[in-house]
Amino acid sequence: MPIHEKSLIRPENLKTHDSLILDGVDVSGHWSTFIESRVVADYNEAIEDEIAALPGGEHIHRCWQCGSCTNSCTVNAINPDFNPRYWIYLIRMGMESELLRDKDIIWQCVSCNKCTYACPRDVFPEGVMKATSHWLELKGHTPKSPSMHFDEVFTEQIVKTGKIEESRTIRRFFQRTNQGLLQDWMLEMVKQLLRGLPIGLLTRMGLATFVAPRTSNWSRASAAMQEYIDEQHEKQEEALSLAQLVKAAQEDVAA
Amino acid sequence: MTKPILIVGGGPAGLAAAHSLATVGRASVLVEKEDKLGGAPILSGYAKLVPSGEWAKDAIGGMVQRVESESLVQVETGATVTSFDGGPGDFSVELSSGSKFDAEAAILCSGFTHFDSVNKPEWGFGTYPDVVTTTQVEQMISSGQGVRCPSDGRKPQRVAILLCVGSRDRQIGREWCSKICCTVSANMAMEIREELPDCHVYIYYMDIRTFGLYETKYYWRSQEEFKVKYIKARIAEVTSDGEKLIVKGEDTLVKRPITIPFDMVVHAIGMDPNVDNPDIANTFGIDLEPHGFIGSANTYGSMSQTSRPGVFVAGAATGPETIDDSIAQGHAAAMAVLSGLREAMGQTA
Repeated sequence: MPIHEKSLIRPENLKTHDSLILDGVDVSGHWSTFIESRVVADYNEAIEDEIAALPGGEHIHRCWQCGSCTNSCTVNAINPDFNPRYWIYLIRMGMESELLRDKDIIWQCVSCNKCTYACPRDVFPEGVMKATSHWLELKGHTPKSPSMHFDEVFTEQIVKTGKIEESRTIRRFFQRTNQGLLQDWMLEMVKQLLRGLPIGLLTRMGLATFVAPRTSNWSRASAAMQEYIDEQHEKQEEALSLAQLVKAAQEDVAA
Repeated sequence: MTKPILIVGGGPAGLAAAHSLATVGRASVLVEKEDKLGGAPILSGYAKLVPSGEWAKDAIGGMVQRVESESLVQVETGATVTSFDGGPGDFSVELSSGSKFDAEAAILCSGFTHFDSVNKPEWGFGTYPDVVTTTQVEQMISSGQGVRCPSDGRKPQRVAILLCVGSRDRQIGREWCSKICCTVSANMAMEIREELPDCHVYIYYMDIRTFGLYETKYYWRSQEEFKVKYIKARIAEVTSDGEKLIVKGEDTLVKRPITIPFDMVVHAIGMDPNVDNPDIANTFGIDLEPHGFIGSANTYGSMSQTSRPGVFVAGAATGPETIDDSIAQGHAAAMAVLSGLREAMGQTA
């Protein structure tokens, strides 16, 4: 829903007291329903910097709130609450609680990149969406999304072997997302494969399932890639102060 | 013998007009009410100018030197025109200093007056020392002192620049856009971020009017390279909690009230008609336009004419104007004077 059509009063901001006496006057019951203040009392400059430290979020500070991204958005057409323009603003002004209200839909970006081509300032809103869902995961606000699991499985395999072996990718993806391997469509696909493909190809596919194919002399490339990835992760953890976050959480548990 | 041309006002427009006339061998008398030439950029101590980035004292100072060393320009500082009679080609002029002379024509380059923020008391100027104007920040920068909170000299951590202070506001009878303040503010925000990288700068705007090529050089650059934040809100009031300034308003994009603490609030003050304009209009027998600036006949055949033949106008006397355009208009007015005299002598081709 466009912002201007949103109700200013949200149910969770209504406070009712069963019994309340103000200056000697009994205002219990529905007379004592109050609305929590909507006033923004401060900005938090840190969140923009954190999002900007993640891949895709680098250009968030360019946004001038024209709304081209939201207007061109594939997901917004289906779910009007999916509003990249609004989220970019919340991040820039540091309105974290407001952003977290939408944490369960931000990851739904389908990366169609229509916004990338509509944005007059090269903010790369699609990248910002990616960075934001990543941020939500790293900060522990949301569990890892299925697409993040897939990206990880895919990347790990490339780094390790230099090749993609699809059945392995699928198996690991199902495993990490707690899905059973023997799904109806999967069984049907295997049946069709067995029926339609030449024996030689089937044999090779079968072998690859057990012995992962590797690019020859891959170890040096693999090590270089892993080093870069570790470096990037370290930087991101530092930018997001994750160590402090973990420490604070541990202290909370201990207390 | 030809008579000199009277030029009123020694700012960018007047300096340009005097230089142009001297270039073609015409004498002029440059009358300036203050005790030195240069106009607002010099008298108000501006820092780096838009769009050249040159320091005002170098750029405009250079124009002053050029005019002062010109024998065809007679400079009269600390003086005003008290009487002006006659017609084109034959005006008689009297100055407050008592001197009298004849002039062929007059060019009014009498400029503007900075808006006095005291006229918007809800924005805290005059009440809280850390509420300042763009002119004051210019002076902080040009003096080398740096941007500091006047109350205790500390470096601000968060600065708000409020646009349209004294512009586009019917409540105080100032309906015009002052044209330069958006660009000046974007430039100032970058200067603050450059000097104090840990200081966050927020600009509160109704529209951003960094016209023409200033769009990328100031608006975009301030966002992209200096991470200045622009918030669409016209501030309701500036108060204080005893420690910080509190800026209250509505963030129109999220439709929520805001009360944000700031260390320093800068008013991007607009350009008023010169406070002396009623006197100037009276002395020279010319019309002011409805806002109080000097009315100029905007015809395509000749520029810079006022309602009185032989009296011309250039620069911010005609309305909010940039320094560059004021200089261009000063040159144009000199040309208009010459072409007017040529017509009067029947030399038109």
